[in-house]
Amino acid sequence: MNHAPLGSACAAVLRRDLTLAWRRRGDIVMPVLYALIVITLFPFALGPEEALLQRIAGGAVLVTMLLAMLLALDAMFRSDIEDGSLEQLILSPQPLALMLGMKILAHWITTALPLIVIAPLLAGMLHLPTAVMPVLVYALLLSTPLLSLLGAVLVALTAGTRRSGMLLALMLLPLCVPVVIFAAGAVAAAQQGLPWLAPIAWLGAALVMALVLAPLACATALRIALDA
Amino acid sequence: MANWIPLWVHKLSSPPNFYRFAGVVRPWALVLALVLGAIALYGGLVLAPADYQQGDAYRIIFIHVPCAWMSLFCYGMMAIASFISLVWRIKLAEVVAMESAPIGAAFTFITLVTGSLWGKPMWGTWWTWDARLTSELVLLFLYLGVIGLYHSFEDRRQGARAAAFLAIIGIINVPIVHFSVNWWNTLHQGSTIRILGPSKISTAMLWPLLTMMAATKFYYIASLFGRVRTDLLSMESGKDWVKQIAEREGHA
Repeated sequence: MNHAPLGSACAAVLRRDLTLAWRRRGDIVMPVLYALIVITLFPFALGPEEALLQRIAGGAVLVTMLLAMLLALDAMFRSDIEDGSLEQLILSPQPLALMLGMKILAHWITTALPLIVIAPLLAGMLHLPTAVMPVLVYALLLSTPLLSLLGAVLVALTAGTRRSGMLLALMLLPLCVPVVIFAAGAVAAAQQGLPWLAPIAWLGAALVMALVLAPLACATALRIALDA
Repeated sequence: MANWIPLWVHKLSSPPNFYRFAGVVRPWALVLALVLGAIALYGGLVLAPADYQQGDAYRIIFIHVPCAWMSLFCYGMMAIASFISLVWRIKLAEVVAMESAPIGAAFTFITLVTGSLWGKPMWGTWWTWDARLTSELVLLFLYLGVIGLYHSFEDRRQGARAAAFLAIIGIINVPIVHFSVNWWNTLHQGSTIRILGPSKISTAMLWPLLTMMAATKFYYIASLFGRVRTDLLSMESGKDWVKQIAEREGHA
């Protein structure tokens, strides 16, 4: 047997997913628009008072990012299951966990990265102080891949079912509680002028652990859900 | 040698054998649960003295605390059965894991409701974002996620295996949630009102509590066995042993 080397297989999966996403550019914009709409609604609901908005800015942006990612999560494996290319991936000689890791990376680049780019703007709309912005971006840079990885495991579990939107939210909530606590904790600490490195370090540690374990769990979950 | 124990366990894991075994054990467990529960309630509500600080309101702990223990115990049982079902693919373990989930969710729900009923006169609020309360709420969501995932598959065995995997992810998650919620709450504010210290409880209050704990365990066994029996019948509805039971009990 003559297998493609691992590196080129990974690159092929990544390139394929990014190309597919680029062909449907409109879908990339949707989570960003959604986040923008949610953030716009906060001042209408709470009043335009600057001090109040400033207090909730960090948490509101983080929760909005989480919800926007949750919306996009559902589609992570959808088209691949429908056209059967996921089964091809499972049958391929390369390790499934690594291939899925590449798919998760592509998904993160297409959904989370635009959200992170727009995050300072959203936080600015809620009057988050400029000095806190870098901490918010660090927290997002560490917490969004974590959410993508955890979400991918759950999406894989629901791969064999038809409707999974609400179920996904229900399953993701317990898993994302610690992520939200540490990410929002870092932003809140920075806002109060306290040291914020500890929660960021915890997020980093969790991300390293998830990078190793989540693709493996994702592969197992997919095998269970598709009964392969 | 004690060779008969593994042999007995192996035989028990076959659906018809377990169906018979559960049918024998279930009434006894149910009677024990009811009797012990009645004794514990009498001891807790009548015999135990009123608390010097909380008056009679504290008596809800005779329901609340055993249910809180059971909410964790059921999750543990579910996770162990899930692990067994994924590793050895034993059909009975799948059924036990999936039927433990609704019982555990019910215990968690009772814990939350009784806790908030107690919190209103004691803390002056139905709900507070205390670390323990939040962890219990997250536990309820974990249960609901497992139940929801199980029912969203058309093939029940496939659903059971997917939900079993979720249950195992959940049990890794529980300590992380508990730790992070503790950290989160202490960052913002220390709890101003502490829950009654469990070590300083008098014997008159302790024995009804422990009796109720035993009662809830027996109730769990009775409820689980009843659920597993009906589940086994519907899963194995095409098999010969179910047909025999249907014919025998249909004529009676």
